[in-house]
Amino acid sequence: MRQLLTIVGNDLRQRVRDRSVLIFGIVVPVALMFVMNLVFGDTDEVELGDVTVAASVADDDELGQALVGTLTRIEGLDVTVDRVAADEVRPRAEAGDAQLGIIVPTGFGDAVTRGEGATVDLVEGDGAGLETDVLVSVVRGVTEQMTAGTVAAGAAAAAGLPPEQLGAIAQQVAEAPPAVTTVEGTTATEQLDASAALVAGQAGLFLLFTVGFGVLSLINEREQGTLARLRSMPMRPGLIVTAKALAGYVLGVVATLVLLAAGTLLFDVDFGSPLVVLVLVLSVVAAATSLTFVVVRVARTSEQAGVAQSIIAVVLGMAGGAFFPVAASGAAAGILDLNPVAAFTRALGVSAGGGGLGDVTGPLLTMLGFAVVLAVVSRLVPDRGVAA
Amino acid sequence: MTSDVAHRPAEPRTGTPVLEVAGLVRRFGDLTAVGGVSFHIAPGETYGLLGPNGAGKTTTISMVAGLLAADDGEVRVAGRRMGPREVEPKRLLGLVPQELAIYPELSARENLLFFGRLNGLGGAELRQRTAEVLELIGLADRAKGPTKEFSGGMKRRLNIGIGLLHRPELLILDEPTVGVDPQSRNAILESVEALSTEGMAVLYTTHYMEEAERLCDRIGIIDAGTIQAEGTREELIRIIGELDEIRLVGSGNLTAAATALEALDAVDRAVVEGREILLHVRDAPTAVAAVVTTAGRSGMELSDVEISRPDLESVFLHLTGKALRD
Repeated sequence: MRQLLTIVGNDLRQRVRDRSVLIFGIVVPVALMFVMNLVFGDTDEVELGDVTVAASVADDDELGQALVGTLTRIEGLDVTVDRVAADEVRPRAEAGDAQLGIIVPTGFGDAVTRGEGATVDLVEGDGAGLETDVLVSVVRGVTEQMTAGTVAAGAAAAAGLPPEQLGAIAQQVAEAPPAVTTVEGTTATEQLDASAALVAGQAGLFLLFTVGFGVLSLINEREQGTLARLRSMPMRPGLIVTAKALAGYVLGVVATLVLLAAGTLLFDVDFGSPLVVLVLVLSVVAAATSLTFVVVRVARTSEQAGVAQSIIAVVLGMAGGAFFPVAASGAAAGILDLNPVAAFTRALGVSAGGGGLGDVTGPLLTMLGFAVVLAVVSRLVPDRGVAA
Repeated sequence: MTSDVAHRPAEPRTGTPVLEVAGLVRRFGDLTAVGGVSFHIAPGETYGLLGPNGAGKTTTISMVAGLLAADDGEVRVAGRRMGPREVEPKRLLGLVPQELAIYPELSARENLLFFGRLNGLGGAELRQRTAEVLELIGLADRAKGPTKEFSGGMKRRLNIGIGLLHRPELLILDEPTVGVDPQSRNAILESVEALSTEGMAVLYTTHYMEEAERLCDRIGIIDAGTIQAEGTREELIRIIGELDEIRLVGSGNLTAAATALEALDAVDRAVVEGREILLHVRDAPTAVAAVVTTAGRSGMELSDVEISRPDLESVFLHLTGKALRD
C-alpha cells in the first residue's frame, strides 16, 4: 500500500507541477462552458412580447365575450384587445396593427347554447410570431370546450329533453373544469436546460482528457525509461498499473467535481442531490479510466495515445451532448445509450429534476458496465507499445 | 571462435556469488538475442559485459534485473531465483538503465526520495542516504532544481545515484556513459570504482574497451548473444597469446644492440627495421627499464621509445573477426 500511494502521489505531483491537468482539466473546459453558454445558453428561454388582438364580438354575446376575454388572462403574455367592427378585423391584421384578428359571428353564444355549432374566424396578422401561435392555441382550447357543450346539448336534444334545458346543459359543459388535468413532469422525465446540459457535457468531455493525463503517463514512463526502473523495484508487477489507474481516477474525479461545482456557481445550475452527483461522477470516471487503459494497450507511442484519446473524447463528448443536444432513434439510439458520457449527462438531468439513486439506475449500470467490459478488454488486447 | 574460458565460468573468487547466471536464453520470434549466457559475480567484484551494440548485453541485463522472462536458464541473486514476478531478489539489486530513468519535473532530491521509498527506505534513513548520494554524485548544490534543467552529465550521475541509493548488493549499470562528455564520464567511472571498494558487486555493460579495462575485475566478451570469452584482462589477452611491443628509435650500432636485447629474459624477439628496433617482450612496463639500459650500453643512441600492449580490442577482433565498434 505504501508503494502504491508513493507512485500515485508522485504522479499527481508531476501532473500538478506541469500544469497540464489544471489547464486541460479545468481552465479550458470552464472557458468553453462560458463561451458556449453565451452562445447557446439562452436558446430555451423565450421572452414573449406584447401583442394586440383585433376582435369583433357582439356586446350581448356572453360566450363570445368570454372567449375574447380569456385572451387577456394568459399568464406571461400581455394582450391588448381592440374591439372593432367585423369588417375592420382583417385590414387591421394585414396592416400589422394586430397580431391576431378574431371574428365572433353574430348569434355565436345562442348557437352554442342550442347545440348548433358556430364558426369563429381567426386572422393571423402580418409578422405574426410565437405570441400569435399562443393566442391561437388558447382560442382553440376554449372553442373545443365550447364544442363539448354543443355536443352535450345535441345529445340531450336527441334524448328528448325539453329545449329549455338544452341551453343550461351546454353552458354547464362549456364552463365545467377540465376532466383531465396535466402536471409538470418530475425526475425521470426531467431534462437539463441548455446551460446545465453544456456544463454536464463539457465535464464529461474533458473528463476523458483528465483521466488520460494519469493513465497515459504509463506510456511516458515507458518512453523515458522510468518504467524499466519501476519494474526493477521490489513490488508486485500489477502495482504500477494499479497506481496509474488510481492516479487517473483521482484526477478525473477531482476535475469533474470542480467543473460541476464551477458550473453550479457560474451558470446557476443545480444538478440535484450531491450524493447522487458524486455517485455518477465516480461511475463515469471509472468508465473513462477503463477506456483509457484500452488506449494504453493499443497505442505504440505517447503521440498515438494522445491522438486516439482526443478523438475518443471528442466523439463521446459530442455524442454525449457536450456541444449541442443529440437525439437519435432506432439502432443509433441504442448505440448512443451505451456512451458513458451520454449516460452521465442523462443521469444528471434526472438528478437535477429531483431524482434519487433509484431513478438513475439505468445510466449507472451503463457506466459501470462500460467500465467492467473495457477493463476486461484492456487485459486481453496485446500491448503494442511493449511489442514495439 | 569461442574460447575454452567461455565454456566453463570460473568459480567464484570469494564467498557465495551475488549473481549467478546459468544458461540464459531469450528469443524474439526467430531471433535468438541471448543464446545460453552464463557467468557469476562475487561480492565486491566488478564484472564487465563487453560487446558491440546488438550483442545481447541489454537483453541479458533485462533478464538479470527481472524485467524480462528468460526462455531458458535461470538467474539467481544471492541465491534467490530472479524473474519478472519475483519481489524479494529485487530488493538486493539496483538498476541503472541505459536510458535516463529519471522524472524531469522532479528535483534530484525528489527523484531520490521517490525511488528510495519504493525500495523500502523511509524516515531519517532515507533522508540521510539521499544526502549522502547527492554528495557522492556531486549534485548536493543542485538538489532542489528540476532535473529537466540539468546537463546530460548531471542527469547521468543522478541516474546512477538512484541505482545505488538503497545500497544494493548488486548494482547493474547498462552503458552508463553513453552520450556523456569526457569530464562527466570520468566522474562516473570514478564513482563506479569507489563502489567496489564498498563491497558492492557491479555488473557493467559497455562497448568501450577502455572502460572495461579500467573498471572491471573480470570481463565477459559477448557477441551474437553468447559469451565468447571470460576472464581478467590478462587472462583474456593470454587467450590470443600476443606479446607487448617496444619500439626503439635511434642511431649507432643497431644490430649489436638488437643482439644484446634479445638476450634479455623478457625479450622474445628483436628485429632491426631501418633506424628502429622492434622488440616483442613480455610485460613491457616492467621490462622497459632494462631494455633502455641495455640498448645504451650496446652503443645505441636513443631518440624515442614507444610501448604498445595488446588490448581487449585485439582480443575481440581475434575472437569475433570484427572490431568492437563495428
